[in-house]
Amino acid sequence: MPEYLTWKDRRKIESFYKLGEDLNLGVVAIDQDSCSGCGLCVPVCVGRAIEMVDKKARMVTDFPLCMSCGDCVAICPENSVKLIKFFELKRSFRYLDRGKPEPPRRF
Amino acid sequence: MADTTLNKEVEGKRIRPPERGAPFNAVEDIIYRRRSVRYYLEKQVPEYLVRRILEAGRFAPSAGNAQTWKFIVVQDKKMIAEMEEDVLKVCRRVKRFADYIEPGSKHKEWRAKMLMRIMPNSFHPIPFTAMKVMGEGRVGVWHDAPTVIVLLADRRSPGDPSVDIVIAGQNMVLTAHSFGLGTCWVSFITPLNFYPKWKKRLGIRYPYKLVTSIALGYPRGIPDGYVPRETQAIDWFSEDGTFKVVY
Repeated sequence: MPEYLTWKDRRKIESFYKLGEDLNLGVVAIDQDSCSGCGLCVPVCVGRAIEMVDKKARMVTDFPLCMSCGDCVAICPENSVKLIKFFELKRSFRYLDRGKPEPPRRF
Repeated sequence: MADTTLNKEVEGKRIRPPERGAPFNAVEDIIYRRRSVRYYLEKQVPEYLVRRILEAGRFAPSAGNAQTWKFIVVQDKKMIAEMEEDVLKVCRRVKRFADYIEPGSKHKEWRAKMLMRIMPNSFHPIPFTAMKVMGEGRVGVWHDAPTVIVLLADRRSPGDPSVDIVIAGQNMVLTAHSFGLGTCWVSFITPLNFYPKWKKRLGIRYPYKLVTSIALGYPRGIPDGYVPRETQAIDWFSEDGTFKVVY
């Protein structure tokens, strides 16, 4: 089973941002079974949102600054990282008409 | 008259568009698989490869064929470290002056919100958070890349000079990825505008203006790959006069 924080859990984390009011951050799911512990995704992440615990990568529980760039998804040699939620700004910085995330399509 | 000695395979041959649903061709593949690289090997990029990448930038389209760009290649590790330190100094100063994430004092928050209104692009929440994280020393500016290409634009050029320079930059970035190198756009070089010493050293004076920079190097691991991206709404005015929105 992939182990990650659901969005409902993440809203409970107390932080300095007003979560859910100003911005929702990205979420990646890391499959703990297939993760080989190579540690490539940790330095690749700009927001330093991934850490190694017991030779398995996982998202930082405190306040992961994930901007859902997908660098960890692309670099993972085991394909065990999956992007499940895109970051989203709200109020005056809200982006309009974003659509659903999709890989490159062939028309 | 086209020079047929450069590449005989493609010169003078008509390129056919792909069939519906055909697999990606080489150029599309490079574009879709390109990821920003933020983890580089220490190995220096040889000069001929950098020259070849700059050559791709030289052949970019520009307004009125003005070709008003200037590239600066920095391979001196000491100089990159110095530049990085000076950018980080500005970040630390901004963090001390205005911070809405972790205010600390009662003035920091309203200052941050005021800056966000005056300069909504520079003090957008994302660069603001980046400045905070960089000021804390958690993330570097050029991510220890061995080569930095600085892009300057000519203020006197026709149209929008920063658009021209960025088209040239994108050409260079895609070429670099087709060589298996890694790149990352770093616009956090603009704080160097505050330093007269860097303006003198990099030659940023009229008519040139500092636009952005590209970090270049050999990536660790295999960073390129397909990832999902958001599909933006596209307004479509069809041939038969109807209107639709496609994603």
